[in-house]
Amino acid sequence: MWRGAAGRTAPPLRPPQNRNLFVTELVAGVSHGSVYALIALGYSMVYGILKLLNFAHGDVYMVGSFIGFGIITVFGGPLNLHVSVWLMLFLMFFCAMLGGGLLGVMIERFAYRRLRNAPRIAPLITALGVSFFLENAAQLVLGAQYQSYNAFSWTNSAIALKHFGLPAHAVISYAQVIVVVGAVVLMVFLTLFVQRTQLGKAMRATSFDREAAAMMGIDVDRVIVATFFIGSALAGAAGVFNGIAYQQVWPYMGFQAGLYAFIAAVVGGIGNLPGAVLGGLVIGLAQAFSIGYLSSTFSDAIVFAILIAVMIARPSGLLGRAAVQKV
Amino acid sequence: MTEPTDPSTPRVGVDEWVASHEGRRAHRAGVAGRVERELARVPRPAFYLAFGAVAALLPAFTSNGYTIRVGFDTLLYMLLALGLNITVGYAGLLDLGYIAFYGFGAYGYAMLASPKFGVHWDTLAVIPVVVVATAILGLLVALPSRRLLGDYLAIVTLFFGQLFVTVYQNGEAMSVLGFTKKYDVTGGPNGIPNIDNFNAFGFHVGSLQAYYYVALAVFLAVLAAVYLVDRSRTGRAWRSLREDPLAAELMGIPVNRLKLVAFACGAAIAGLAGTMFAALNTAVFAADFDVPTLIIVYAMLILGGAGSIGGVILGAVVVNVSLEVLRTPGHATWVFFVLLAATLVARMRPWRWVAVVLGGTIAFGFAVHAIVSAVWPRGVHGQAAVGGILGSGLRHWVVLPSNPMTIGNVAFVCLVLAVLGVTLLHGRLQKLALVPTLYLAIFVWENRLAVEPSVTRLILVGVILIVLMNARPQGLLGTSRVEIV
Amino acid sequence: MVRRVGVVALAASVVVLAIVSAAGARTTAQAAANASCTKGVSIGMQAPITGPAGSIGSDQLHWAQFYFTQWNKTHKLKIHLVQEDTQLDPSKASTTAQALASNGAVMGVIGPAGSDEVQAVAPIFKKAGLAFTSGSATRVSLTNGAWKGYFFRDVPNDGVQGPTDAAYMQDKLGVKSGSKVMVVDDQESYSTGLADIVQQSLTAKGVSVDRESVSQKATDFSSLIAKVDSSTKVVFLPFQVASEAQLFAQQLQAQGKTAVAFGSDGTFDSSKFTQNGSYISFFAPDVTTISADASIVAAFHKQFPGATSPFGAPNYVLAQAYAGAVTAACKDGKISRAEVRNDLGKTKLSSTILGGGLKFTANGDVAGAKFHIFKIENGKYVTIA
Repeated sequence: MWRGAAGRTAPPLRPPQNRNLFVTELVAGVSHGSVYALIALGYSMVYGILKLLNFAHGDVYMVGSFIGFGIITVFGGPLNLHVSVWLMLFLMFFCAMLGGGLLGVMIERFAYRRLRNAPRIAPLITALGVSFFLENAAQLVLGAQYQSYNAFSWTNSAIALKHFGLPAHAVISYAQVIVVVGAVVLMVFLTLFVQRTQLGKAMRATSFDREAAAMMGIDVDRVIVATFFIGSALAGAAGVFNGIAYQQVWPYMGFQAGLYAFIAAVVGGIGNLPGAVLGGLVIGLAQAFSIGYLSSTFSDAIVFAILIAVMIARPSGLLGRAAVQKV
Repeated sequence: MTEPTDPSTPRVGVDEWVASHEGRRAHRAGVAGRVERELARVPRPAFYLAFGAVAALLPAFTSNGYTIRVGFDTLLYMLLALGLNITVGYAGLLDLGYIAFYGFGAYGYAMLASPKFGVHWDTLAVIPVVVVATAILGLLVALPSRRLLGDYLAIVTLFFGQLFVTVYQNGEAMSVLGFTKKYDVTGGPNGIPNIDNFNAFGFHVGSLQAYYYVALAVFLAVLAAVYLVDRSRTGRAWRSLREDPLAAELMGIPVNRLKLVAFACGAAIAGLAGTMFAALNTAVFAADFDVPTLIIVYAMLILGGAGSIGGVILGAVVVNVSLEVLRTPGHATWVFFVLLAATLVARMRPWRWVAVVLGGTIAFGFAVHAIVSAVWPRGVHGQAAVGGILGSGLRHWVVLPSNPMTIGNVAFVCLVLAVLGVTLLHGRLQKLALVPTLYLAIFVWENRLAVEPSVTRLILVGVILIVLMNARPQGLLGTSRVEIV
Repeated sequence: MVRRVGVVALAASVVVLAIVSAAGARTTAQAAANASCTKGVSIGMQAPITGPAGSIGSDQLHWAQFYFTQWNKTHKLKIHLVQEDTQLDPSKASTTAQALASNGAVMGVIGPAGSDEVQAVAPIFKKAGLAFTSGSATRVSLTNGAWKGYFFRDVPNDGVQGPTDAAYMQDKLGVKSGSKVMVVDDQESYSTGLADIVQQSLTAKGVSVDRESVSQKATDFSSLIAKVDSSTKVVFLPFQVASEAQLFAQQLQAQGKTAVAFGSDGTFDSSKFTQNGSYISFFAPDVTTISADASIVAAFHKQFPGATSPFGAPNYVLAQAYAGAVTAACKDGKISRAEVRNDLGKTKLSSTILGGGLKFTANGDVAGAKFHIFKIENGKYVTIA
């Protein structure tokens, strides 16, 4: 025992406790970051092709979350599920992704299509209008109350209730694991799609130079529709992930998530898909570590300060390439 | 034809003059064209003075406190949009943290003129100090703009805005890195209350009317300054910076300095607006200066037309007045019906078709009402949301179920899909589909939307934003611009 | 050309409509000093119906609407609710307060919901002679006498809840001098006010308090929970959002911590906060457990299907109080704002759905305010103190 100058014993350093905190923060940051990353992917994809900041994207995430909640209710509600949890999970993801994708396609067709050649600030306001509309229509139809997936109480379900410990005595829940694994799976699919398929190649070409792609015979409309569908489907899936891990759904949840995802997309280098993922993880980890080690009150402020520093150090984002300005 | 029908084909090599030329050619015909030409000859300041005169007379027309308060709020928004116009409209820099300057000005005034720190400076001392401090803050925020372009600058300004809100929202227990005692700097979520009123030249500005006049005077002064700057060399330099920064730099225009000055000017104006906000509300809270307010200011600016002062005024009036007018269910219903009629008139030509569609809808409505009351009596026993002649007239025409929640919700979703579907059709089929869609719209309005005016007004504002931006992407009074490929 | 003219005409018509409605708007309440009761009476309502606090405000609105719908079905004197949305923003609250004050038909106001909003609107309502009541503003200083006779609230203030909670923690939850308690606020003024009071009460008795704060939109508290060690007995959560408290309590147990979660009245929602072993303090018994209320709650769910929150029922009671005041004021066929204020102050309800009577003190607080402590067992709320 070490005796300090004042005669009081200093508490011995407890390595397991510190490692415990570290691992917990790490897992929390990665799982939160994965949700942000999925939404940020949609932002980046749309921006890459249309140079449009789709502020309504966060609300597609909200709609996906509600679709998942709807599926739970159809099957009896969170406390009285009468089907297998895995079947329900599959249905939730399928419907949320399909619903989110269709919603994204509808938004593009009716709100953004006419503004493709307009100055960039006009679609920004249109996106805000769509966002107002979606949030308040959701409040009108679904009510303003917080709804809960109550995933921890699903009968026959071990996913959110059980945990497995790590050597550092940290505990992570199955739900967090599902979120991270699911996000990774979706990102791998997306990468394969973008790199290996014809349509993916067309998307990359269109994001590089829209006019040249059109002249090469690529159907730009189809590519844009596909981009919106995929991006919005990812947001819908992110909504279901959020519900499983963090339970809450409510009409205004898209606003905050959309803001963070937008930040993630830009910090990673907007238009850049791996950058969006990296940006999401950076934000999630920065939040978790600043709450754990610095101050929970000012964690947001600290995260923003870190990000400002990152942006000044790398002005085109973490993985972005400096845009070549043609004269 | 004034515009190509297919929006996805690129418009290669078209610039502003050509883009507006087709519109100009169409203007020359008829009485409306003549009126427009005469109006174009009137110098702009005459319009601004006319606006100032009308606004000054408002308190004479009504002593309704609410109207004057709405007028004051609109003037503050106009001032904010004017400042944002410099950064976004003139210099072309997307500033997503603008509202933090507003908050900084408001809190600055609050800290220097309230019991919070015991400091009660005279208004004529506080306001210049606050404005200059905000301008310096704007300069500091603009420093990264030398390295950052476009959306990256936008995101850094957004960070700054969020940083401001977080720090001020939690500023009741701030200590320097945990080493010193905790200080209550900003009051945290409880804000700073009991702020002094304005006190200048021996006048104590206490009443709502007085604040309205102060706001109007300040706004007109700033308007004059901005107008003069716009016509000066700096204004022209900003415009060239907005159009093509690289060319501007090659022309020897000090691009970096201009960016800093644009930010500083916008910030100073926002700080000034903030002091008036703080003085009237006598209390400030960080939540007032967050993204939703920023969104409203942006919507006003862009709806009115970025880069145009008249657009700023019009945009602010349209958005804020719409938001307030739509609070009352009675007014909202009138606006709804007028919008429906206006859309029909604007989109359907020749106008005899409008009469046909309206007649068809009325007949359809009576038919449906008769069928429903025969088959399901409870379907027509509900309450009309609107009173008066309109309400009693509608009772016999619209199906009003006694418990409209679920049916209303389903009908709302169907209505959205129906409206989107109608926009996809053409010709006779479209007009035929319009009849049940119109009836459905009025059904949903009566049963669901008018019953919840607070939610409906935001839905309506969202729809108006979407429709107006699609119809006129350059804003109401903005000039068409096309990006050069 | 037609399109441009059309668009500008549209904008101009909005402006004209605004001016017309402004000119036609009724002037100040002085003109309606003694209105007649035959056409019915209007009561205003201010609540955060949309926006981040929309779940609270829309619930408050629905319960008040529900009461007046039922009232209008069975009474000749019709009461009409004029709603105004404040989005929990004091500056919007003062703008909408002006609207209500200038509306000569409005005889009293239910709301606003937040303590900051109450402070913003009080001068306006006092000047207009309107009574205003709150079912959720709990800051102690609001009833210090400045607005006596104008402001009433039917929920006890933080000055009652804070010490009750702190005392219970010390008496029954093993919190002694030298123990640790973590207090987490959600960065809103309701939460920080209550957290401050509890923190003060505990530190005065030698308990060490770890004060943290999270945003209301936070959903992952693993980082904070990792800081909870084995000597922390209680985590106090004065949250406004019940599901946030549920998330915290759930993650607390999932991490294997022995500390117990203790929520304040904002978290009292048996459909959302259901983590077994947690405690909650609330100023009334559980509405859903009072058998007399069952039919009322059922009728409410028929008119407004979906979930509800603990912030709703107090507004039902306020609506009830106003109905009583308006009836008393209308006995002579004429009604005025001053009459409604006086009659409201004299409200004496023997039983309300909150499980007790309602009587206001001279300063506008609830007479005989008491907080009950509940424990969650098997997903149900059990009254234990």
